[in-house]
Amino acid sequence: MWCVGGDVRLILNSDSMKPIYVQVSEWLETEILNENIKCDEKVYSQYQLAEMFNINPATAAKGINILADENVLYKKRGLGMFVATEAREIILRKRKNTKLRSMVKELAKEAIQLNVEEEELLEMIRSLHQQMKGDLK
Amino acid sequence: MKVVECKELTKRYGKAKAINNLSFELTENKITGLIGRNGAGKTTLLKMIAGYLHHTSGDIQVFSENPFNNLKVSANSIFIDNGMSFSPSLTLEELLETSGEFYPNWDQRLAKRLFDYFSFNPLQSHVNLSKGMKSTFNMIIGLAARCPLTIFDEPTSGMDAGTRKDFYRALLKDYIAHPRTIILSSHLLSEVEDILEEILLIKNGEKLLHMPIEILKEYSIGISGKATAVSEWTSNKETIFTQSIGVDGSYVVIKNDCSLRDLEIARDIGLEVSSVSAEDVCTYLTSKTKEGIDHVFN
Repeated sequence: MWCVGGDVRLILNSDSMKPIYVQVSEWLETEILNENIKCDEKVYSQYQLAEMFNINPATAAKGINILADENVLYKKRGLGMFVATEAREIILRKRKNTKLRSMVKELAKEAIQLNVEEEELLEMIRSLHQQMKGDLK
Repeated sequence: MKVVECKELTKRYGKAKAINNLSFELTENKITGLIGRNGAGKTTLLKMIAGYLHHTSGDIQVFSENPFNNLKVSANSIFIDNGMSFSPSLTLEELLETSGEFYPNWDQRLAKRLFDYFSFNPLQSHVNLSKGMKSTFNMIIGLAARCPLTIFDEPTSGMDAGTRKDFYRALLKDYIAHPRTIILSSHLLSEVEDILEEILLIKNGEKLLHMPIEILKEYSIGISGKATAVSEWTSNKETIFTQSIGVDGSYVVIKNDCSLRDLEIARDIGLEVSSVSAEDVCTYLTSKTKEGIDHVFN
């Protein structure tokens, strides 16, 4: 069995090497999280995405289909794909459970390798978290 | 609809087999990349599809007909390569206008706009163009013709980096607006992979693989770490490429048919798992030996 789709980024854990269709779906997710595309609004078509990212329309369609399978998007026959009401929650839940979790796992692994104690690690996270929060505001 | 269909296609030049027992199908309105090393048989295959060359045995169908000397195939396809010759008595501008008469879907406005964008001199002759400018001019003809089957054989050879980028973007935009079947041969996969839908990889005239490009990118994975650990972990797996690194390290590329559990084990025993780009996979699959060029120096 090939490890296809969403699993890949977990396994490979190398951002730049993510398949393009995954990058497309993540870009759309971010647009939805930032409310650039709101609930029940139409998302970009595969052709618009293909032009924006300079990729084959079939690849762009695959990125859209991931989100449709996860119920982030729904289809209106003949009109295109629209953002589901519960899109934000689905995306947030997914990112917490997959992306964030695997990043934390890597973090813990590195800390163990470097003999960094739990308290020290937590302190690092705490101070950086505070700092980032300030920066983002 | 199938646009190209080959069954056990073989082409011999004397005793040498340029194409050997090749079977594949290309469906309508996809961009397919024909990839292979120098001398793999790319041009021979494309010329048979375009109807320029006879095949030796097997079967080839384009638009459900034998392409050789075929009016239907000629009227619906265009073959662009850097060997195209045009009448030396016509200027570039005249060539552009004359070309339009051969192709029913010809878009003169697109041709003219591309011509101006790439700063061609309308009064110049084709024979005096540089290699890159020739390729660019041929590309304009290939795009503006909008043939249902458009074949580009190494279209970007001689083009500078900027022109290559422009060409691929122009190709993609025009394809989105006017979908058609496009075959693109290249030995620089990294340059074209984003706009491809499928890839057909050939080696010594034989098919190595034909699959959607996105699947190819997940076709194999790279494993690196201590040589002993790497070779133990990969012992029951299909190896595509091996390379030793430093004193006791090694990097092995294997076919990605391992389970998540397998990969977790690899991680736990300290091996590093990485993805392998489509271009690298193709290079490894088409290389002469599993160590590549290093083999010569060992």
